[in-house]
Amino acid sequence: MPLLPFRVLPVSDPGQPDLRSPGRFLFWMARRQWRLIAGGTIFGVIWMVAQALLWAAVGTAIDRGLVHRNQHELVIWCLIILALGATQGVAGAIRHQIAVTNWMNAAFRTIQLVGRHLSNAGTGVTDEITSGDIVTTVAADAMRIGGAYDVIPRFIGAIVAWIVVAIILISSSGVLGVVVLVGVPLLASLTTPLMRPLHQSQAAQRESTGRLTAMGSDTVSGLRILRGVGGEDVFFKNYVDTSSEVKQAGIKVAGPQALLESGQVFLPAVLTVIITWAGATKVIHHDIQAGQLVAFFGYATFLTLPLRTVIEYIVASTRAIVGARKVIAILSTTPNVSDPDVPQPWPTNATRLIDPVSGVTLTLGQLTGLVTETPAQAQVIANALGRFTSESTARIDDVPLADLTVADLRHHIVVSEIEPRIFAGTLRSEVSLGSEMSDHELDGAFAVASAADIISASDDGYDMTVEERGRNFSGGQRQRLALARALATQADILILIEPTSAVDTHTEGRIATQLGDARRGRTTVVASTSPLILEKCDAVIFVNPEGEVITGTHRELARDRADYRNVVLRTDD
Amino acid sequence: MTSLPIATNKSVRAYAKILARDFRRPMFRALWMYAIAGIASLIGPTIIGHIVNDVTAGTLTSRGITYFALGLIAASLINTASTFLARRRSYVLGESVFARLREDFMARVLELPLSVVERAGTGDLLSRTTNDVEALSRTVRFAVPEWLVAIMQALLTLGAMLLTSPMVALSALIALPLLYLSTKRYLRYAAPGYIRERISYATLFATVSETAEGGRTMDALQLGRRQRRRVENDLNEIFFSEIYTLSLRLAWFPTLETNFALAIATTVMWGGYLYLHHHVSLGAATAVALYVVQLVDPLDRIVAWLDELQIGQTALARLIGVADVKDDRITTGDQPLSEIIELSDVRYHYRPGHDVLRGVSLTITPGERLAIVGPSGAGKSTLGRLIAGIDRPSTGTLTIGGVSLEHLPLSDVRQHVALVTQEHHIFIGSLRDNLRLADTSATNEELERALAAVDAIEWVEALPEGFDTILGSTGYPLTAGQAQQLALARLVLADPHTLVLDEATALLDPRAARHLERSLNAVMQGRTVIAIAHRLHTAHDADRVCVVIDGTIAELGTHDELLALGGEYAALWRSWRSESDEAE
Repeated sequence: MPLLPFRVLPVSDPGQPDLRSPGRFLFWMARRQWRLIAGGTIFGVIWMVAQALLWAAVGTAIDRGLVHRNQHELVIWCLIILALGATQGVAGAIRHQIAVTNWMNAAFRTIQLVGRHLSNAGTGVTDEITSGDIVTTVAADAMRIGGAYDVIPRFIGAIVAWIVVAIILISSSGVLGVVVLVGVPLLASLTTPLMRPLHQSQAAQRESTGRLTAMGSDTVSGLRILRGVGGEDVFFKNYVDTSSEVKQAGIKVAGPQALLESGQVFLPAVLTVIITWAGATKVIHHDIQAGQLVAFFGYATFLTLPLRTVIEYIVASTRAIVGARKVIAILSTTPNVSDPDVPQPWPTNATRLIDPVSGVTLTLGQLTGLVTETPAQAQVIANALGRFTSESTARIDDVPLADLTVADLRHHIVVSEIEPRIFAGTLRSEVSLGSEMSDHELDGAFAVASAADIISASDDGYDMTVEERGRNFSGGQRQRLALARALATQADILILIEPTSAVDTHTEGRIATQLGDARRGRTTVVASTSPLILEKCDAVIFVNPEGEVITGTHRELARDRADYRNVVLRTDD
Repeated sequence: MTSLPIATNKSVRAYAKILARDFRRPMFRALWMYAIAGIASLIGPTIIGHIVNDVTAGTLTSRGITYFALGLIAASLINTASTFLARRRSYVLGESVFARLREDFMARVLELPLSVVERAGTGDLLSRTTNDVEALSRTVRFAVPEWLVAIMQALLTLGAMLLTSPMVALSALIALPLLYLSTKRYLRYAAPGYIRERISYATLFATVSETAEGGRTMDALQLGRRQRRRVENDLNEIFFSEIYTLSLRLAWFPTLETNFALAIATTVMWGGYLYLHHHVSLGAATAVALYVVQLVDPLDRIVAWLDELQIGQTALARLIGVADVKDDRITTGDQPLSEIIELSDVRYHYRPGHDVLRGVSLTITPGERLAIVGPSGAGKSTLGRLIAGIDRPSTGTLTIGGVSLEHLPLSDVRQHVALVTQEHHIFIGSLRDNLRLADTSATNEELERALAAVDAIEWVEALPEGFDTILGSTGYPLTAGQAQQLALARLVLADPHTLVLDEATALLDPRAARHLERSLNAVMQGRTVIAIAHRLHTAHDADRVCVVIDGTIAELGTHDELLALGGEYAALWRSWRSESDEAE
């Protein structure tokens, strides 16, 4: 088990971040976890300083034990070496635990903020930022923000250790102390120019790797077609071409990366040479003893660690700032529709739902067909009727939808769009949506949507797994599941856009018959051009290509209007 | 869902051996440089040892110091230069090996039998293509080289210790038992822990992705709170998987570090004892002690990379496991004598005891248009897949020109029969590449002819860069109708004599569907067409209609014959057509 007690993550409330600038955001984050940062710093200092003091102990063991030939001192100092090693081990482990916790706290808090904002603002975020970018922000930028808090305690430990070494050296040689005091920051700053070309080539490499991964996934997604129609050779050749581009981009990284690493060999070596040289000179003049020289050599070797930590800190904090900028971009988006200042209650005995823009007026309590030339036009009308855009002027009787809270509105009016998204889960969770319906209740929804065959084909019944995007179902099955899901909401007003376009005629006929019965007394709008569905509707609203709105029954419209026949019956007259 | 196989440890090792053999030269070139760098890094302690000896003997002069300093400088320069070369060579090597691995994998994927691709779904394969390839990238590019280098460095340091003083060097052995035992214990639990960690991250990213992509559905159904809970539950799972691996490390790290300190203390002690009893010089004792300290780093790295190597091995097993899928075709070399398709008592089941098709016998004559109708789940699509040669009958025979379809190689089957479904896919790549997969040698004129045949030439010519326009998920967006037209143009290029259409126009809006049907008619000219009918007017236009109910053929005949029969088909037709009759 972990050495220290820990708090289970994620926290219940991530708080309100400061979005004014990346720096303020990171500072806000630091304040949330200052205890962890402080604790990590304490153990980071102990861990680093113990490593530096190990050399002092080795030097002293040689001087007091060996040069002075005192076996007793030798034993004592060897035990001190052991004690320092154990201290370093334990402090290092605690430091590691706090570092991981620090990192998780910051990364998870960032992801929580993004997740909450996304679930709150929905399309308000995705209209501005692509879903790919959102995933990258969670997968990469949040982790990088976390990374900065992982390094901070170690960075402070490195600075303290560096000063400790400098002080030890000053006590025996002022010049050497100054060399170390000035040398370490100087050498760290010399490495920074090596990092820019590295980061540039790494960015290029990541980009081409991303392309290759996309290409691989794309090929796999279309594998059925490739194996069915042919063309594997062409695709393999394309893949190999891109793969060698990635390889070339990787090889371009090799140079700068090797340069940085050899720089990290060379720069501390400069320090080692100077310290050893000066130390050896002091030995001749009997200013210091042989053991101290060994310790000097050890300090020089040890300083590589603080030096690398400083470099790591520079890299990590730069990345965290870049990451914070992307997180702020996501968190600064706003929902497309918001609650009114003074919300009105849902009008209980309303009779009509009106969209003044399209001219569509729905009589509530009926099964209404909505016929437009293309499904996209029906979607626009549904967006207004469900107030999915802030421009919607739709009203229910005399109450503008904008005067209702969004939650109230969505509770009463459910719009199922063209190709609705199916989420991952089980059939039960994805159709009953949190209300955990019983098998019996689900049977009802599945029967109306003619989706019962999906259940009977599986061994797990309603506990069957639904994979991401419902990809383990065919297009027709997904459509019927979405229909069952919409029906399961039992909404007062249900607007369905092309709910049966991907199912066969037999099934469509069954759905048409059952839908009317299942929704009797409530309001249902079906945007469809199928005669089987429209035939069963109480009224059909036809928006013709010129934008005129004509209301009637299917039979009346089919009898009287050539433009209606043209859209619905596919007669070209 | 059948999942794809995972390779055994034995075949992973065999594959690794092949790789090691193929990349032997660049590997030795890199290792050789590392050896020089390693030796150069061992000079420091030797020089300190010499200085200490000279000090003790009182022979140290400033001239001597200058020589030692120059030696140290030379060693640092050699170390720097050889580290640069070694690192660069090994990164280049890592990139080459990784490129080879992913290309090998893709070649194996592209050879998967069609039936396996159809049935296993793309989920497992997709996660191998992305997650496992990514995991392996770290192993191949960093873990393996670092590990080999650390081993070499450790061996060189041990060698230097033995050269300096075998007697003092003995004491370093004290670190080995504890190092071995604690690492062994750690590794037993580490790999599953890190794999769980990876899965937990992948789950989170999938949840975030579906929340972002399904934003509209989430808004409409008020799923925001639920998706938020899912994100936070996923985070919670990541937290506990991180805590698990963390506690493994917390049990392991202090043991390691204390163990290293034990080795250093013991060496100083033992070296000191030997010095005090005049068995070794002070310089030798000092140098060995410094070597032990230098040994800590490579030893640390050897054990620290082991978990990554384990993860890489698992990933590699999943990647090369794809090749273990057996091809279900037994090619006999027989050639079809005609284009007649004959099904005789064909049965098919996905699960034993649950026959989806229960004894279907049917002869399809060349040039015929056959419509298959019936309720969902009756087995229409399964029948289509059998005729297209994707699956083979569980029992019974299905022949084309007298040859069983499963006895023909896939490339031949494609020339005879093609399956067109509503699932279409536009690949990331140029329009030309997207079309040419059906006929890799097609000229521009042939491509244009194919596009003209499916009525798509107009919008294709309007594309920003014509045939070179990049399409697919990251390229120029096409409508569903255009995508279907491209799929049909591929068919024109592939030119099979028989088409199986499975609800090919189902997902389109009516206007696009009508347009597409015209394209489809052009493609169907002169071919045998088996249409799994979705809208009944397709059945009306067919030469024969086959009504499939419950896995058997319930009715078979021309449209008029079936109407006259007054059975299932007649009832359905009347219910579908009644409104239209009144309207006309």
